[in-house]
Amino acid sequence: MKNYFLFILVGLLTLNLSFAQQVISGSVVDADGVPLPGVNVVVEGTGQGTASDFDGNYEISVEDGSTLIFSFVGFADQSITVGQTDSYDIQMSSNLELSEVVVTSMGITREKRSLGYSIQTVGGDEIEDVRSMNPIEALQGEVAGLDVQAFNTMGGSANVVIRGYSSLSGSNQALFVVDGTPIDNSTGNSTDMQTGRGGVDFGNAAMDINPSDIESVSVLKGAAASALYGSRASNGVILITTKKGSKKKGMGITVNSQITVGNVDLETLPVFQDSYGYGYGQYRRAYIGPSTVAAGEQWTGNYYGQWGNNSAFYTGDDGSYGPKLVGQEVHHWYNMVPEWTDLYQRTAPAVAPSDTPNDFFETDVTQQNSISFEGGDDNGSYRLGYTNAQTDGVLPNSQMYRNTVTLRANRNFGKLSADASVSFINTQTTGRFGTGYDGLNPMQGFRQWWAVGASILEQKRVFEETGKNYSWNMIGTNTDDPNGSPNHQPLYFDNPYWSRYNNYTTDSRNRHFGNVSLAYDLSENLNILGRVTFDNVTEAREQRANVAVGTGGKGANLFDDQPGYQTQNRIRSEYNYDLIVDYTRDLTDNIDLSAIFGYNLRVQNWDHTTAQTNGGLNFPNIFALTNSVNPLTAADVSQYDAQKKVEGMYTSVSLGLSDTYYAEGTYRRDRSSALPVDNNSYNYYSISGSAILSNLIESDLISFAKLRLNHAVVGNDTAPYNVFRAYTINPAINGAASASNPSTLPNSNLKAETTTENEIGLEINMLDRKLSFDFSFYNKTTDDLLTSLGVSPATGFSGLVTNAGSIENKGFEALVRINPISTADFSWNVTMNYNTYTSEILSLGNDATGNAIQYLGYMSPQGGIEIGGQVGEPYGVIRGHAHVRDANGNKVLRVRSGSYDYAHYLRTSNSDNVIGDINPDWTGSVRNTFTYKNFDLSFLIDIQQGGDFFSLDTWYGFGTGAYDRSVGLNHKGNDMRLTIPNGGGLRLDGVILPDNAVITDGVANVAGTQNTDVMSRYDFYANPEGWTSIGAPHEMHVHDASFAKLRELKLGYTFPESVLAETPFTSASVAFVGRNLWIIAKNSPYTDPEAGLGAGNRQGYQTGAFPAVKTYGLNVRFNF
Amino acid sequence: MSGLISKMNSKYQLKMKKFIFLTFALALTVSCSSDEDYEGLNKNPNAPAEVSDTQLFVSATNSLIDFVESTNVNENNFRLYAQYWTQTQYTDEANYEMQNRAIPDYMFSEFYRDILGDLDNAKNLVTDAVKIAQIELLSVYAYQMLVDAFGDVPYTEALKAGAETPNLAPAYDDDATIYADLISRAQAAVSGLSGSGTGYTSDDLIYSGSIAHWKKFGHSLLVKLGSRIVDQNEATAKSLIESNYASGISSNADNAYFQFESSPPNTNPLWEDLVQSGRQDFIPADTFVNVMNDLTDPRSDKFFDPTSLINGAYQGGPYGVSTPFNDNSHISQTLYAADFRGVLMDYAEMSFILAEAARRGFSVGGTAAQHYENGITASMSEWGVSSDHTTAYLAQDNVAFATAPGTDHEKIAKQFWIAMYNRGFEGWTVYRLFDSPTLPNAGTLDLPVPKRYTYPQSEQTINGANVKAANGGNDTQQTSIFWDVK
Repeated sequence: MKNYFLFILVGLLTLNLSFAQQVISGSVVDADGVPLPGVNVVVEGTGQGTASDFDGNYEISVEDGSTLIFSFVGFADQSITVGQTDSYDIQMSSNLELSEVVVTSMGITREKRSLGYSIQTVGGDEIEDVRSMNPIEALQGEVAGLDVQAFNTMGGSANVVIRGYSSLSGSNQALFVVDGTPIDNSTGNSTDMQTGRGGVDFGNAAMDINPSDIESVSVLKGAAASALYGSRASNGVILITTKKGSKKKGMGITVNSQITVGNVDLETLPVFQDSYGYGYGQYRRAYIGPSTVAAGEQWTGNYYGQWGNNSAFYTGDDGSYGPKLVGQEVHHWYNMVPEWTDLYQRTAPAVAPSDTPNDFFETDVTQQNSISFEGGDDNGSYRLGYTNAQTDGVLPNSQMYRNTVTLRANRNFGKLSADASVSFINTQTTGRFGTGYDGLNPMQGFRQWWAVGASILEQKRVFEETGKNYSWNMIGTNTDDPNGSPNHQPLYFDNPYWSRYNNYTTDSRNRHFGNVSLAYDLSENLNILGRVTFDNVTEAREQRANVAVGTGGKGANLFDDQPGYQTQNRIRSEYNYDLIVDYTRDLTDNIDLSAIFGYNLRVQNWDHTTAQTNGGLNFPNIFALTNSVNPLTAADVSQYDAQKKVEGMYTSVSLGLSDTYYAEGTYRRDRSSALPVDNNSYNYYSISGSAILSNLIESDLISFAKLRLNHAVVGNDTAPYNVFRAYTINPAINGAASASNPSTLPNSNLKAETTTENEIGLEINMLDRKLSFDFSFYNKTTDDLLTSLGVSPATGFSGLVTNAGSIENKGFEALVRINPISTADFSWNVTMNYNTYTSEILSLGNDATGNAIQYLGYMSPQGGIEIGGQVGEPYGVIRGHAHVRDANGNKVLRVRSGSYDYAHYLRTSNSDNVIGDINPDWTGSVRNTFTYKNFDLSFLIDIQQGGDFFSLDTWYGFGTGAYDRSVGLNHKGNDMRLTIPNGGGLRLDGVILPDNAVITDGVANVAGTQNTDVMSRYDFYANPEGWTSIGAPHEMHVHDASFAKLRELKLGYTFPESVLAETPFTSASVAFVGRNLWIIAKNSPYTDPEAGLGAGNRQGYQTGAFPAVKTYGLNVRFNF
Repeated sequence: MSGLISKMNSKYQLKMKKFIFLTFALALTVSCSSDEDYEGLNKNPNAPAEVSDTQLFVSATNSLIDFVESTNVNENNFRLYAQYWTQTQYTDEANYEMQNRAIPDYMFSEFYRDILGDLDNAKNLVTDAVKIAQIELLSVYAYQMLVDAFGDVPYTEALKAGAETPNLAPAYDDDATIYADLISRAQAAVSGLSGSGTGYTSDDLIYSGSIAHWKKFGHSLLVKLGSRIVDQNEATAKSLIESNYASGISSNADNAYFQFESSPPNTNPLWEDLVQSGRQDFIPADTFVNVMNDLTDPRSDKFFDPTSLINGAYQGGPYGVSTPFNDNSHISQTLYAADFRGVLMDYAEMSFILAEAARRGFSVGGTAAQHYENGITASMSEWGVSSDHTTAYLAQDNVAFATAPGTDHEKIAKQFWIAMYNRGFEGWTVYRLFDSPTLPNAGTLDLPVPKRYTYPQSEQTINGANVKAANGGNDTQQTSIFWDVK
């Protein structure tokens, strides 16, 4: 460690602030001497640059010794080091001789033209310019075939999936590799959290990477590209290269500051009605006393609790099917707060407040400041970066701070060269957002169970003034007893402000990752590299639920609705030891050979301990295990200790012929400690080839064309402890020890799963490089799927770890670049990505007794739906009750007769109908970039077509009557909230079947007749749209996740040389940046179609979804 | 800077060469692990690979009683189905909505995985004949509940995920056939209790190792099995009841109780949902309260909260209809105690079974009226009603067997139903078997009391072919269990 600090120290001591400037000029021409306008001229290591004018001339002011880089679409980059003269004429070579170098697996750099597989690179600028706290989100829409989904929670995870879901074992997440260091990207979120049953999203760890340090991101999509990484790379690899110092005189300093503010997008929140208040319907009073409502009269007066001589809202009711709000005098919850003497025991008019729960959200302010120092000479370079980032989330009492220090240094000592990179990251977070169906998630109340008439801002005021948990949902009077005193205990929902400030999480994550590598040139052709990478994460998480003094409180689900405290310590680490021998030789004039041989040992460790209080807290505000009401038992603590080792040997041989034909073969063998000894080794390989077609065919139209082909087989193992049975220890009862079988049965016959992928690709560059395409078709089949198969509990277990069946993903990806206009002053570039794939479960196999395995499930969330798939289906179909339809496909209404007729949709009796598919039809994006003199404007539109999700938010919310859609007039012109005999209700679109109809599998054998006169009830919560038995089929709450979003916007200005001449800056730029500013189109009501629970395989389900946040701000960058 | 570093060059080159050497020496040391070492990494140090049958037996007993006592809407809604209780705000379960919360799925997985699976495993680990008998009796008890809830269920092919040839999609067996096997298993177990061995002692959380009581439990279980099939196969029922009643539970001292603890996690599950949750979901239902009021039953003060009278009387919530908690009487504080005992079988239950048997002319050592009075008396005593009150009650015209209204069958059913208060599953089963007392349709949706649980939704997707063939393809709430023939 000492060595790095020495480098820093040396760097600081030799800080040299000399800014000798000179003006360089010249012309740029192509191979035929034709002037090239619009060529980018950039000073290496700075943001400073210009472009050649219409005549191909350029002029730029630089320091002595700077390196100028000339780049232009379709041409190879050229660089010059500024020396004595001030004029340099440049002749650029078209990419017939293109030697663009890209970083491929294991950090090996290769000429892109030689690759037989698809690799797409994103520049660091595109990530840094419009960044968020999670740099991974900045990849949204940037790469064809890469799906990045963010979930709108502060510090929460991002789902990163390449080429669709293909594995069931645990992770479909892409592997992140930073400068050769594979880094942990697990979420560590609980199963409850991932299935929507509550908990917070602690984020996935790839977000620790500092966006300011990223030089470039390469996405290795296919198995052939990633085969050398071994088993973990079967879901693709995101290869991040951090910035290196550049060769320059003295030290370069770059300062970058960004401040953005974010506001929730109201398009992604409920629209509340304002005419009916607290309650679940007339039944409440109708049963107890005779109704005084005459026919046609609006229900206002009698549907109340009573307190003293006045009516009172039933504050315990968390629905909005109560009385019409017409200003009648009533006791509100805030009239039951003794501290508010001016309001206590008084009444106020029953009206909807001017605020709604949407006013709960605050403005998110995010600041990111970074400074970096860099320098270098002929023998090495260094770069030291520091970034401070902080954000206040959109919820009250949420903050996140992150400090990152990154050092990268390399040095040549003759034949020996050393490269070291290390990052230290400390993240401190308070008040992560509760998620899912849980009282800690305010969205559960707002979206699903809300009583119109409760004011959120009064909730804020009462909390600020009393500090107590006075909830809009307090039990209240709820009684006819005129002398009864209000019961202040919240029934279902705490005051959301009290909850945010008392039932909050904190967590602290310390991480250091990096690597040290040494390379030695044994001969001109033979090179040996040794590398140690490390990634250590120590995380301390605390969750609290305070004692609500004076009012009582629900607390968190986590502690069985009691006050409580939980602490989790999570330590995990990974070490990789690599030895790579690299041999490169030109065998003949026409044949180039390069070969590598490598050895990799990966060691991963996990050490997790969780403990929580039992039965409540003795003293309020003391969050300590010692404050537990009851002693801790086996049910209150848990531990997970594990180590996993994977050892691999690999080799790769590539041949190039006449710079036109290329072929590469790789082979790797792994041994994993997570598999049974008999099956713990597995092999995989890839072969790929490419041909530069443009070398074979002369065409004026096409300047470059390449065909690629590859075939790869990649293995994948599993997590520890899936082989040997181990029992669950239960808390002892009455002194008797207790243990039970695990719910999931391990399997001693496991073997590695394999993914076989074939890919064909075509790259074309045409019309004088104004148009380029890159197409890929792939077919990816995963066999022997490692999965925790859900089985009938009648087998004695609810799951079994096993190798089950095969999944196939077939897809097409396209990248199109257009450069319609390119002049000295103005250029316009368009980049388009398109991706489509289909997934299909090919087979699921049989059990040992020959029974076919029918179904692969991965989620049975609240609401009674299931997400999974059967043979022939995509992985990720949603199952539930469907509409019963008549012979013509119309929705069938069932008419119920009582004192009057009413109708509701008839749903299928079985709940295993396919009612949705979470996989999108296609995704795409378009980025437009305009440059005019010193201004640049770019925007990215991100599109998803198709894909479904089930919403528990509308499932409950449409039943509880808070949304605007639950009020209004029916076709007769009457208030739909009236009872049907009083003219109310709605006439639903559907048909009524004749009595002799026979329904088979949800379809009637005859056509029904269109409903003309039977109304459906909207006077109470059991309306036809909610969750109740006479409510909606699940199908009605499956929503289309399509969207088109303005994902990114940037308007930048680079200060001209003339302005900077008198300043110490070598370059400076400012930019207005925005993210998620506009949802151009979507089909799902009241929500963000991208919202979900968090990263992982469990997608396609929303409950308590958070709104999207529009962020915009200013970015300033200076170079010294 | 470069100067400074180049001076270090030679020194560093040496150091770095050493480093590179050390790195690989280290890597090779770590890596040359044997397969055995690799395997060792795959054994969880925090969870035992082997446990004893005793620990499994304790866990299964605990899981069984937890299910029986629970009133969690996701798990056990039988107190609602018997219309003892109703719900205040959210009345889906009182309206017999089973699917939205996948309620049958819970019972199905709890019974097979956490009760029968552990019992089966325990049985394979033990040779003590008495222990095997105890395990078997609990297994029969659990299987009977499964059949009584669902009808056809997996049996012969069940519990075989861990077998040599795992069966992951067990077929469903005919419910009557399962019952016949349960009867012979229970008979074998009763004999086994007299076999060689010590049985479970301090780990027996029901009878604390009293084998004499286990024998009574076993005989009573046979009586109970017989009582279910009395309409379907009266001859077998008669023989079972007649040959076992005398050795069965004969006083409240024989009751199969389970003592919960006063603090989590081993509290009575009732406490979790009534107290710990902070919610006010459950109140006595009008159906039950009206009957109790009508009889001026002294157990009212034990079943309900005497401080929650409405206009001087107990008032039940309208069954299946939303109603404010405080507009109605509440459940007794006795049931709110964390350590309230759980019940698997009691003397009142046995007495009413025998009353019905006697009414049918079976020879069960007494008249229907005698057993009827025994049942009421046992229930009164169990709930702490004084003998004076009990005597007065038995003398009431509307209670005394001779004078109470209705047929003898209906009289027994009514008092049986009352005595099964807080034992929702048995109360619901009394209604199904006796078709009495009359339970009205649920208020909001106007649906009749279910005759069974529908099959778990998860079975439709993961074991579809088998579940679709079960019960002759009838999977509705109104499909009768095989013994429910009248």
